Amino acid sequence: MLWLQVLANGLMLGGLYACIAAGFSLVWGVLNVINILHGSLIVLGGYLAYFGYTLWGIHPFASIPLIGALFFVLGYLVQASVINRMIAAPVLLTLTLTFGLDLMLNNAMLVAFKADFRRLTLEPPLGTLELGELSLPVDRMLAMVLAIALTGLLYLVLSRSRIGRAIVAVRMDRWAAALMGVNVNRIYAITFGLGALMAGASGPLLAMIFPISPLTSSAYLGKAFVVCVLGGLGSVPAVIVGGIVLGVVESLASVWFGSEHAITVSFVLLIGFLIFKPTGLLGKKGFE
Amino acid sequence: MNKFFIGAMLTAAGLVAASGAVAQDAQTIRIGAPLPITGPLAPEAVKQQRGYDLWAEMANKAGGINVGGKRMKVEIVYADYQSNTPRAVQTAEKLITQDKVQFLFGPYGSGAAKAASSVSEKYKVPMIAATASSSQVYDQGYKYLFGTFTPNDTLTEPIAELVKTMAPGVTRVAILARNDLFPLAIAQEMEKSAAKRNIKVVFFEKYAIGTLDHASALSQIKAQSPHWIFATGYTNDLVLMRKQMADLGLKGQVLTMIAAPAYQEFIDAVGKQSDNISSASWWHPAVRYKGKDIFGSTENFVKLFRAKYKSDPDYVEASGAVSGALFQMAIERAGSLDGTKVRDELAKTNEETFWGPVRFGPTGQINSLEPPVFQIQAGKPIIVHPKAIAQGALRLGVK
Amino acid sequence: MKFHIIAAATLFALLAAVPSFLGDAYSLRIGTTMLMYGILAMSWNFIGGMAGYPSFATAAFFGLGAYAGAVLQKLGLPMIASWMAAGLFAFVFAGILGMALLRLRGHYFAIASLVVAEVIREAVNSATDLTGGGMGLNLPVPQMGSIEAQAAYFFNAMLLISAATFIALFVTSRSKLGFGLRCIQQNEAAADMIGINATLYKTAAFMLSAVFVGVAGAAYASWVHYIEPPDVFDTLYSVKPIVMVLLGGVGSVFGPILGAAAYLALEELVWRNYLSIHTGVLGLLIVLLVLFLPRGLLSLAPRRWGMAP
Repeated sequence: MLWLQVLANGLMLGGLYACIAAGFSLVWGVLNVINILHGSLIVLGGYLAYFGYTLWGIHPFASIPLIGALFFVLGYLVQASVINRMIAAPVLLTLTLTFGLDLMLNNAMLVAFKADFRRLTLEPPLGTLELGELSLPVDRMLAMVLAIALTGLLYLVLSRSRIGRAIVAVRMDRWAAALMGVNVNRIYAITFGLGALMAGASGPLLAMIFPISPLTSSAYLGKAFVVCVLGGLGSVPAVIVGGIVLGVVESLASVWFGSEHAITVSFVLLIGFLIFKPTGLLGKKGFE
Repeated sequence: MNKFFIGAMLTAAGLVAASGAVAQDAQTIRIGAPLPITGPLAPEAVKQQRGYDLWAEMANKAGGINVGGKRMKVEIVYADYQSNTPRAVQTAEKLITQDKVQFLFGPYGSGAAKAASSVSEKYKVPMIAATASSSQVYDQGYKYLFGTFTPNDTLTEPIAELVKTMAPGVTRVAILARNDLFPLAIAQEMEKSAAKRNIKVVFFEKYAIGTLDHASALSQIKAQSPHWIFATGYTNDLVLMRKQMADLGLKGQVLTMIAAPAYQEFIDAVGKQSDNISSASWWHPAVRYKGKDIFGSTENFVKLFRAKYKSDPDYVEASGAVSGALFQMAIERAGSLDGTKVRDELAKTNEETFWGPVRFGPTGQINSLEPPVFQIQAGKPIIVHPKAIAQGALRLGVK
Repeated sequence: MKFHIIAAATLFALLAAVPSFLGDAYSLRIGTTMLMYGILAMSWNFIGGMAGYPSFATAAFFGLGAYAGAVLQKLGLPMIASWMAAGLFAFVFAGILGMALLRLRGHYFAIASLVVAEVIREAVNSATDLTGGGMGLNLPVPQMGSIEAQAAYFFNAMLLISAATFIALFVTSRSKLGFGLRCIQQNEAAADMIGINATLYKTAAFMLSAVFVGVAGAAYASWVHYIEPPDVFDTLYSVKPIVMVLLGGVGSVFGPILGAAAYLALEELVWRNYLSIHTGVLGLLIVLLVLFLPRGLLSLAPRRWGMAP
């Protein structure tokens, strides 16, 4: 059944998309900063996983926490030293700032790793699960499960831990949070660090499925955008919904309109939502 | 001081810096080579460069090129256009006007070659495009553009004929093409070649440049149960596609991919899944030609290439080298470096070379080659057509 | 004000003399590119600098103008007429697009305008019969005699277009429209309350930001006579003008030109010398600019020159 396969493809992708977008959505919702670096961070995470595996035999699944921790620190430092200076600046400036930072990171990766696409192929390969007429590649399924797990972990952190509650408080009203004794600047740095962590952690997952190259970073960024707008800013469930919807829509659009139009359809959907429902399917009103 | 005037001065400074002329040695032959040294197409640039460098080294080792009795060394002037087509045009012009090159090697690929050819035509500088096959590149009526790749249908016709003869049961073909000048043009030729032989095209779709996921397209192809799958794109696209085909359990009798299987990188990246993938290209190290060019024969060229680069040459590298060799022969026949004279000699070329017999058609594109069809068998590319140089037979069945 | 007019006139007169002094085709090519970016930067200023809406739609207008001009020329329309028609097309398109997008603010507007270019690019890519799709579009090569004459022709064409853009920018900034836009940037709700028709003004600014870009796009297409979607819809055509305006000084009249000249001179030097890290250097420049000089070079000028916005 073609439709079942298409749906399955979409769901598997959707889980991944949610994971890609989770960190991005967090930073956008809390700091009101669109982190253009996000795509390149994902790619960098992918490279680290790739080298970890090919040079030292570290399985990508195992490198996730390592890379995550590293990126948290990186993100924290970048935010505290650079981005926080512009935190109250107009949208144009923050956008341009992260854009400039992204150019630097992307160029550095291009010089270091070259534009050639790398493939992280697991030995032995995980194979495909055949369920009747459905072909479900095991690596994609595993990646999807892990992606959802990671996102779920983020949700738990936000809803259960003290830091998490502080982050949500800042998102809702930074002045009130400050009045309540929350160190807003520190929370900003932590949030950005978390965003970077999520980006880096998705790197290994994506690396197992897609080719890795600095040239793919804008594609991931684009997905993150669309997921955030579709699902809405402000909560993890929104990101998951947005991710799954995007994955499925893309898959279906590929069949209805032809594969070269799949990306365009998602963008048209993006514009549609921006015009008619900017808060997304589940979002609370984000920053303007 | 008024910042306004600073802006004006910066402008002037920019213009002056840009127009700084380069002092050159009047005793060398300078050939400009705009290449995508950085950016997405960088891996391809390396290949062309290797070909050019090997030729230049050979020519200079022999004392240089004979220009009307005087021996002159050859120098290749490289410039990076960052895989950006408008920059390719700009770079070509810079090489001519600033670096004062007398000849040009074309940039990588059909799109950039077409764009840059307007510059070479304008300045009457002969240009040989080493990697431009689409006939659309040569349809502007230019006189100073030449190309070493035969038109796309010379790739699809032989393989279509071969499949028809060896596997008459193949009646359904699915085509998936990258939406880019060359891959799309070749796919369209395949469509025509298939139609000519009553092979039904059950699927024809394009995928956008930069697509990371082909699952949907491949699922649709699977639903059509084609006997033959024909995919076009560059190395990255095709490696990904092959893996996803295996993931989705897409099988067929024949799997043809253009243009990556000719490269060792493809075979390495795809591993065992490369078995029985067929392809066609304009040249292959296993062909056997004897020539009057500086390399003398295909075997000699391959030997020299291996000695310098420790790997076998692929068709892009060979094309780069033969472009240089063709310039050499034309210059020697013309006895001068005058653009128009060399151009006329190029147009008259009728030589045997290690690349094959070379004759250019009225549009400047070569029309004398018979591109080989090959198939990867047990990790090695084996020529299956034409019969004269075939090393094996086409095998059917791809898992 | 008089000073500004004299300064502007001097500048353009100097530029007009360039083909006679630096007549070689390569320098003229650089000059033409500089003027083209000047047009893009000045145009962006209408919507981004004065109205305060961070538009990333410049690439969309540029690409549309390029393809409109190219297709019309292929259908037989004379070159200059095609350029004008392309500009008109972009103008009207911006009006329609504005109705949908200008209701958005800040980040949302930025993203939407960015994505529009992508969508249009794909649309153009797919309409293979009309536009050649991924295989590109060839324009008839203009027959203008010598190479230098052709280069000078396009240089002068871009010069004229940029002069027109400058005048439009200058007049607008001194007019009721300009005043209204600056009010909108400060506080749109308040502007509405004091009787400024924000929707009308914003749309006018958006349309103005498109018309000259469209003409420039068409001129560019004729100049290079081969275009393909990834080239003319390149996101950098949206981003670079913004960086140029930031560099020169947002919202001011001379800022965009200053920024464009400074940026391009820098880029040319970097391109020649630092091949592989040029985008990194660009990124670094942007970061430093945003952090330390957010109001642009012009903000360094003494206040009494009155150059700053």
